[in-house]
Amino acid sequence: MDDPTNPVYKDQRHGKSRELLYSYDENGKFKKTVGFHGEPDRVILQQAWDVFNDRIENARQKVIIGKVSPIVYYMEKNLMDPLSLSMLTGISIWRVKLHFKPFMFKRLNRKILQKYADAFNIGVNKLTKVE
Amino acid sequence: METNKIILNYTHRQAGHCESGATSNLLNFYGHDLSEPMAFGIGNGLYFSYIPFLKVQYAPMISFRNLPNVVFHRSAKYLNIDATVVKKIRDPKESMLALDRNLERGIPTGMQVGTFNITFFPPEYRMHYNMHNFVCFGKEGNLYHISDTVMEDTQVLSYEDLLRVRYAKGPFAPNGKMYWINNVPKELDMKSAIAAGIKKTVYEMIKIPFPLIGVKGLRWLSRDLKKWPRKHGNDKASFYLGQILRMAEDFGTGGAGFRYIYGAFLKESGELLNNSELLEASDMMGKTANQWREFTYIGAKNCKNRAAPQEDYGMLGNRLFEIAEMEEKVYRKLDKIKI
Repeated sequence: MDDPTNPVYKDQRHGKSRELLYSYDENGKFKKTVGFHGEPDRVILQQAWDVFNDRIENARQKVIIGKVSPIVYYMEKNLMDPLSLSMLTGISIWRVKLHFKPFMFKRLNRKILQKYADAFNIGVNKLTKVE
Repeated sequence: METNKIILNYTHRQAGHCESGATSNLLNFYGHDLSEPMAFGIGNGLYFSYIPFLKVQYAPMISFRNLPNVVFHRSAKYLNIDATVVKKIRDPKESMLALDRNLERGIPTGMQVGTFNITFFPPEYRMHYNMHNFVCFGKEGNLYHISDTVMEDTQVLSYEDLLRVRYAKGPFAPNGKMYWINNVPKELDMKSAIAAGIKKTVYEMIKIPFPLIGVKGLRWLSRDLKKWPRKHGNDKASFYLGQILRMAEDFGTGGAGFRYIYGAFLKESGELLNNSELLEASDMMGKTANQWREFTYIGAKNCKNRAAPQEDYGMLGNRLFEIAEMEEKVYRKLDKIKI
């Protein structure tokens, strides 16, 4: 179990911290061990990141071909959905969804862009393009 | 810029579950050595709910833990501890001032936070999860000293970051919730606290007349699990199955959806009260927890290759149903025990 090389995680930064894990053996003792997660636990966590990364990459491609606005990319990158984005910015959800369209996004004023930038924790000038 | 430095003499101990760990560490600060499983059991950490129509991170919401702050609140109530819980502070700056005032008075303060923006958090866990708890025990200029029970050591967080995580948005938003202990009695009445804690947990797991909570929810989930591949396709079914396992194993549960911690609580209280029936129940709970682990081992095979499942979902559903039966036996037994 104590394997810091973590062959399952694709991101090198993952799986570096040790956690407290409990277990129960045949003698009826609950044991506490500080260690890394086993392989099955890593597999299921990596699965979630695979799905998230797919969504982020998908959104990035759509932004590049001009189908959706960069807000969608940053929303996916921050693992949000329209509802939580609307709660965070204080803009109602149907307006947030309108701003997903590039046509509406171009017409946004600086004040609203600032709200989105604050929600994503980035600068306003970075909001208009994807990396 | 003020440069006053306050660091309280707070012992950081790593724990499986964030909130019971925080509770046990806070009590330890006031001179009562309460272990983590004990705080978890008395404060009713054990829970199960399955809410298929509420989606969290694109999958149905499955929770193995109680609502945020229940563990601290109930263990304080049952142990007769004078504690304060501030549920909501509207102004973020005011909430930070309240934290500063507490630190100046020498009170370590627990907070509910969202995990996504915590800078020191392990990157693999940095998803949106608003029910995390940690304790702030010191301040040095702009930096706050944090004891997060997920981490091995204490950490620091800057003012801006702390403000951001305390006002994370989404389901179960923390809204700057904070809690601390004012006064602790010299002797804790463990017997009545354990009895009250077990009674409440049994009520929540088998007696709530609502089909999605407790053992009934587990059975409902096992029936739904069989339908997922037909209803949503293999890809999504595998992701949903992964969500069950992630909630049970990964997010700071100590393994098997807190069942190990609860078993440890039953064992410890059985030894404390010299009650052989509690020890038997703890053995049953430990075996159930091992079944959960096995369920994870088998389920993870399906998550490895999403499109082509290796194991049959019907078999997994049956296994989950068996686990529900085993758990119900434990709760029925606990229900009859007189402490």
